Amino acid sequence: MAMTETFYDVMRRQGITRRSLLKFCSLTATALGLGPSYVPQIAHAMETKPRTPVLWLHGLECTCCSESFIRSAHPLAKDVVLSMISLDYDDTLMASAGHQAEAILDEVMTKYKGNYILAVEGNPPLNQDGMSCIIGGKPFVDQLRKVAKDAKAIISWGSCASFGCVQAARPNPTRATPVHEVITDKPIIRVPGCPPIAEVMTGVITYMLTFDRIPPLDRMGRPLMFYSQRIHDKCYRRPHFDAGQFVEAFDDESARKGYCLYKVGCKGPTTYNACSTVRWNEGTSFPIQSGHGCIGCSEEGFWDKGSWYARLTDIHQFGIEANADKIGGVAAAAVGGAVAVHAAVSALKRAQQKGE
Amino acid sequence: MTSISEEELAELRERGKRLSAVYVYEAPLRAWHWLNALAIVCLCLTGYFIGQPLPTMPGEASANFLMGYIRFVHFTAALLFVVGFIGRMYWALVGNHHASQLFILPFWKGVWWVEVWEEIRWYLFLKREPRKYVGHNPLAQLAMFFFIVLGSLFMIFTGLALYSEGLMQGSWADKIAGWVLPMLGGSADVHAYHRLGMWIFVVFIIIHVYVAIREDIMSRQSIVSTMISGVRTFKDDRAE
Amino acid sequence: MAVLQTPTGFKMDNSGRRVVVDPVTRIEGHMRVEVNVDAGNVIRNAVSTGTMWRGLEVILKGRDPRDAWAFVERICGVCTGCHALTSVRAVEDALNIRIPKNAHYIREIMAKVLQVHDHIVHFYHLHALDWVNPVNALKADPKATSELQQMVSPSHPNASAGYFRDVQTRLKKFVESGQLGIFKNGYWSNPAYKLPPEADLMAVTHYLEALDFQKEIVKVHTILGGKNPHPNYLVGGVPCAINIDGVGAAGAPLNWERLQFIYARLQEAYDFTVNVYIPDVLAVASFYKNWLHGGGLSALNVMDYGDYEEVPYDKKTQRLPGGVILNGNWDEVHPIDPRDPEQVQEFVGHSWYKYADESKGLHPWDGVTEPNYVLGPGTKGSRTDIKELDESAKYSWIKSPRWRGHACEVGPLSRYILAYAQKVDYVRGQIDDSLGRFNSLAGTSLTAKQALPTTIGRTLARALECQYCAKQALDDFDMLVKNIKNGDTATANVEKWDPSTWPKEAKGVGTVAAPRGGLGHWIRIKDGKIDNYQCVVPTTWNGSPRDPKGGIGAFEASLMNTPMERPDEPVEILRTLHSFDPCLACSTHVMGPEGEEMTRVTVR
Repeated sequence: MAMTETFYDVMRRQGITRRSLLKFCSLTATALGLGPSYVPQIAHAMETKPRTPVLWLHGLECTCCSESFIRSAHPLAKDVVLSMISLDYDDTLMASAGHQAEAILDEVMTKYKGNYILAVEGNPPLNQDGMSCIIGGKPFVDQLRKVAKDAKAIISWGSCASFGCVQAARPNPTRATPVHEVITDKPIIRVPGCPPIAEVMTGVITYMLTFDRIPPLDRMGRPLMFYSQRIHDKCYRRPHFDAGQFVEAFDDESARKGYCLYKVGCKGPTTYNACSTVRWNEGTSFPIQSGHGCIGCSEEGFWDKGSWYARLTDIHQFGIEANADKIGGVAAAAVGGAVAVHAAVSALKRAQQKGE
Repeated sequence: MTSISEEELAELRERGKRLSAVYVYEAPLRAWHWLNALAIVCLCLTGYFIGQPLPTMPGEASANFLMGYIRFVHFTAALLFVVGFIGRMYWALVGNHHASQLFILPFWKGVWWVEVWEEIRWYLFLKREPRKYVGHNPLAQLAMFFFIVLGSLFMIFTGLALYSEGLMQGSWADKIAGWVLPMLGGSADVHAYHRLGMWIFVVFIIIHVYVAIREDIMSRQSIVSTMISGVRTFKDDRAE
Repeated sequence: MAVLQTPTGFKMDNSGRRVVVDPVTRIEGHMRVEVNVDAGNVIRNAVSTGTMWRGLEVILKGRDPRDAWAFVERICGVCTGCHALTSVRAVEDALNIRIPKNAHYIREIMAKVLQVHDHIVHFYHLHALDWVNPVNALKADPKATSELQQMVSPSHPNASAGYFRDVQTRLKKFVESGQLGIFKNGYWSNPAYKLPPEADLMAVTHYLEALDFQKEIVKVHTILGGKNPHPNYLVGGVPCAINIDGVGAAGAPLNWERLQFIYARLQEAYDFTVNVYIPDVLAVASFYKNWLHGGGLSALNVMDYGDYEEVPYDKKTQRLPGGVILNGNWDEVHPIDPRDPEQVQEFVGHSWYKYADESKGLHPWDGVTEPNYVLGPGTKGSRTDIKELDESAKYSWIKSPRWRGHACEVGPLSRYILAYAQKVDYVRGQIDDSLGRFNSLAGTSLTAKQALPTTIGRTLARALECQYCAKQALDDFDMLVKNIKNGDTATANVEKWDPSTWPKEAKGVGTVAAPRGGLGHWIRIKDGKIDNYQCVVPTTWNGSPRDPKGGIGAFEASLMNTPMERPDEPVEILRTLHSFDPCLACSTHVMGPEGEEMTRVTVR
C-alpha cells in the first residue's frame, strides 16, 4: 500500500478510474510532445508524486481568506489539506508555535527549494520600520522576502495581498503594500476578493496541481478562469437592468421583486469576479441575491471609490465627496453663467460701439 | 498660421477679386462636423441616463428594454463617433490645408501665441477689433485641439475600454483599449473619468455654440454659415 | 530579581528563565508571549504582546457613516459580521434610527449563527490540538472509539467502528507519508497530552466533521447577507427584503424557500452542538480533571455589556444580561453604561501609543491615538529584531481598557458567570447539567465556582454558549415567522437614509455580545461624516498590557502559576491562551480626533 496519499489516490477517491488516468497521461504526453513510451512514466509520477508543500504566510489581514478557504465544498477543505497539498505552514491552522513553527519554514525552503508554493494572506506594512506586523520579533516583510526567495510561485490571496485592501485605504497609516510591490522576481497569481470565493481559492490550487502550470492570467495577474467577467455580465438580475427596472430605496416594492440594485450603488457593473456565476458558499447565494448591492471587494482600491450606495465613483483629485456629476454639473453651470454674463457684456459693448 | 497667408492673398488678387469669400470647409469636413455634433448630443444624453437612470419601468422585465435601448443608442452613436473621428483624421491628410488645422498646433511659433493672447484680449473686451481668419482663430484652434482632438481621443479610448468589458477580454475593443482599465485604476474609475469627459463635452458645447454665434455677430467673418456652406465670407476688406 | 504585586493580587516575578513564543499560532492575527518560569517550571511572570496594527479607524475618518460597517467588518474575518452589527447599531444610536422588528430578528439570527460557527471552528480547529494528539489517535481501537462515542453522545449518528476505522486509515496514510502538513513539528511526545488514543481518534474525527459542518451553518449568512465571510449589513435594517406570497416572491431575497433553508441549517446547528460539541468538550475535559489552571482574572473581574434582546430595544429582555463582577463576588453585579465617561476607559502606559498624560485613561468618545513604537531599556535584541521585551516600558500594540480602573476578563465565560450570577434559568440549567455530567465522567465533585474560572471552564462556557445561541436562533426564527404571519414584512427603515435628515452633530454607541466577549463601537458624526470612530474590542480587554497601576490583563493573569511539562514546548501556554480565542486583528487599532495626524508619524 502506498503510504503517501498521492495525486492518483485523490483522483481515485473522486471517482476517476485508472483507465481515465492513463488516458489523461497519454494526452499529457502528447501535449508535451513526448512519445507514447513516456505515458507509464507520467502515470508513475502522478501515482507517487509527493504533495506540493504550501507555505501560507499571514501579514496584516483579518483571516477572512483562511476562513473562506475552509468553507470550500468542492473540493472539501479537508481533502485539500490532507490529500492534495502539504500545508506545512499556516499560522491559523498549524499545531506548532514559536520557534518550532519558524523552523518549518527553513526546513521546507531547503528541502523543496524552488518547488514549494508560497501563499500570502494579507500584506506587509512598511511604516513603523515594518514593525506594525511582527513575526518572531522581526518585521513580517522580512519573513515574506525570505520565503519568497526560493518559491516556485506565489499566490496572493484576497484583496490585501493583491491590492492592499482596507488597511491600505486612505490614508494608509501603516503603508500596507501589496505583495507584488515587494516581491518582483516571482510569478504571482492574484486572487482578489474580500475574501475570495472558497471554490475559487481551491479551484486555483487544484488547477495548478492538475495541470502543473499557472492558470492563464489577465492584465492584472488574475486567473482568467474566474476573473475575466464582471458580476454584472452574468447577474441573474441583468434583465431588470436592461428593462430599466431598479430598486430605488431599500425595502421598496422593487426590492421585494428582486429588481436591479444599480441605483442603490451596486458595483457589479465594475467588478470582476465570479460571484454571480459560482456564487458563495456552495452556490447558495451572493450579495445581489440577498438584496444588497455588490461593494466591489475584488477591485483595486474599492474602499476609496465612493459610498457603497452611490452610483458614481468619487474622484479624489477634486477632494473627497466629488463625483463626475458634481464636478461636471458645477462646471457646466459655471460656464453657462459665465457665457450669459459674457453675452450681456458683449451686447452692451456692441451697442456702445454702434453708438460711437 | 497668421491670419491670411501671403499666397492666399496673392492668389485671390490674381483672380482680380475682392477678398470677401473663401471656400474653407470642404463637404466631407462639414458632414463630419454635423454628424459628430449629432453623435455627441446623443452620447451625452444617453450617457447621462446610463449613469442616472430614469424611474423604474412597470411590468415584467421581458416586456421592457429601456436601458437596453438607451445603451444601444449610446453604443451606436459612439461607434459613429469613432468612425467619424477616423474619417476626420484621414481627411486631415487628404483634404485642403484647413483640414489639418485641428490636429497640429503651431506650438513653437511665438507669433501664434501672440495671436492667442490677442484673441483672449478680444474676449476680455480689451481689444476693440479681432483679426480676420480664414480658418480657426488661434484661440479657437487651441480649444479645438484640446476639446475635440484630445477630448475625443480620451472619450474613444475610455469608451472602448468600457465597451470591451461587455465584449469580453480578447475582443477587438479589448485589444485596442483594454489596457486603459488597469492604467486608470480599474473599471469604476474609468467609468468616472468617462463621465467627467461627458461633462467636459457639455462645457465645450456651451462655449462652442455661444462663441460661434457671438463671432458670427461680432467678428469680421462668417462663422455659423461657413459650417453649412463651407464658404467664409468677410465683412470688410482690410487685410488685418 | 523583581517582584511586582498587581492590584488583583498576582505576584509577577521575572527572575526565572525567559521563554518566548512568537508567533502564537492558531489565533486570528499576530501575537507574542513571553513568560518566566521558575526552577520547577511554573510560570511566574507573563507578558503578552499584540504584534500587529492596521489603523483602521484612522481610515474611517471623513467617510459616510452608512459605509462604516464594511470597513470595521474587515477588522476580523473570523468573528465576521459582529463588528458590522456593532457599527450599524452605533450609527443608528447616533442618528436615532429604529429598525423594523423583522430586521431585529434577522440580525439576531445572523449574530447567533456567527456565535455557533465561531465557537465550533474555535474549539475544533484552533483549540483542539492543545488537548488532542492526532498522532496518538493512530493507536486507537476503532471499536473502543465507537463505544466511547456512544457513551458520551448516544444520539450522534456517525458512531460505527467502521466509520472511525476509515478515518484512522486516512490519518495513518497522512502521517506515514512523512508530510505532516499542519501537524508538523507539533508537540506530540509531550506528556501534557493526556487523552487515551480512543478519545484522540474521536476528537480528530470530529475535527474533520466540524470542518464539513461549519461550511453549512454559514449558509444562513449567505442567504441573509449574501456571502460569508463578510456578509453585508445595512444601516436602518437589513438588505434582504421579504416577499413570502406576493408577485415575484420567488425572486425576492427572502422568500419562503429561503426561510426553510435557513431553518434546516439552524436545526443542524443545534443538533451538532448537542450531539457533538458539548459531549466532546466534556469528554476531553474529564481526562484533564486535574489540570484546573488558567482561571486568572475570570475568578475575579468579569464584564459584558449584555445582548440578545427578545423584544427589540427592551434591555430587560436580554437573554445574556451584562454587568460587571469584581473580586469574585458573584452576589453583586454592577450595572455597566458604555456612555458614562468614568466607566470604560483606555490606557496606553504600556502600549505603543502616545497620550499627553499617560497616567490617565480616556473614554472612547474622547480617545486619542498616536502610534509611538518605542522599546524599553531592558529590551534584548534590536528595534527590528526583538529577542526579549522589556515589560516595564511599552510593549504591545494593544491598549489597556479598564472598567472604573479595573482590569476585567470578557468572553463567553464572563457572560456565563454574569448570567449564572443573575440567575438566567437556561444558563443555570446548562451549567448544572454539564457540571453533573463532567463530575460523573471524571469522578469529581466540582462546584460551578470551582470549575468555571479555569481554562477548561472557559472552553466549556463557549460550548454551552454555542448551544444556547443555536437554540436562540431557532427562537428568533419562530418570532420572525410569527411577525411575518402578522402581516409585517418591513425590513428597513429608510426615513433617515438621506444625510440631509441628520443632525449637524451626533454621537452614538453600539455594543454586541461578540464571540470573544463584549464589543463596543463609539462614533461621532459631524456634517454627515465620521468625525471619530473607536472600537474597544474583546481581545483588547483580554490581551491588554499592564495599566499604569500595574493591573494585568486576562491573558497574562491566566498564565500565572501554571506548571509546564517542558518549557521549550509551549503546550500549556497555547492551551490557556487559545481558551480565550484571541483575535489580534480586532484588538489593535484605535483612532482619536487627531487620527489623521498619524500619517505623518513614521516614515523613516
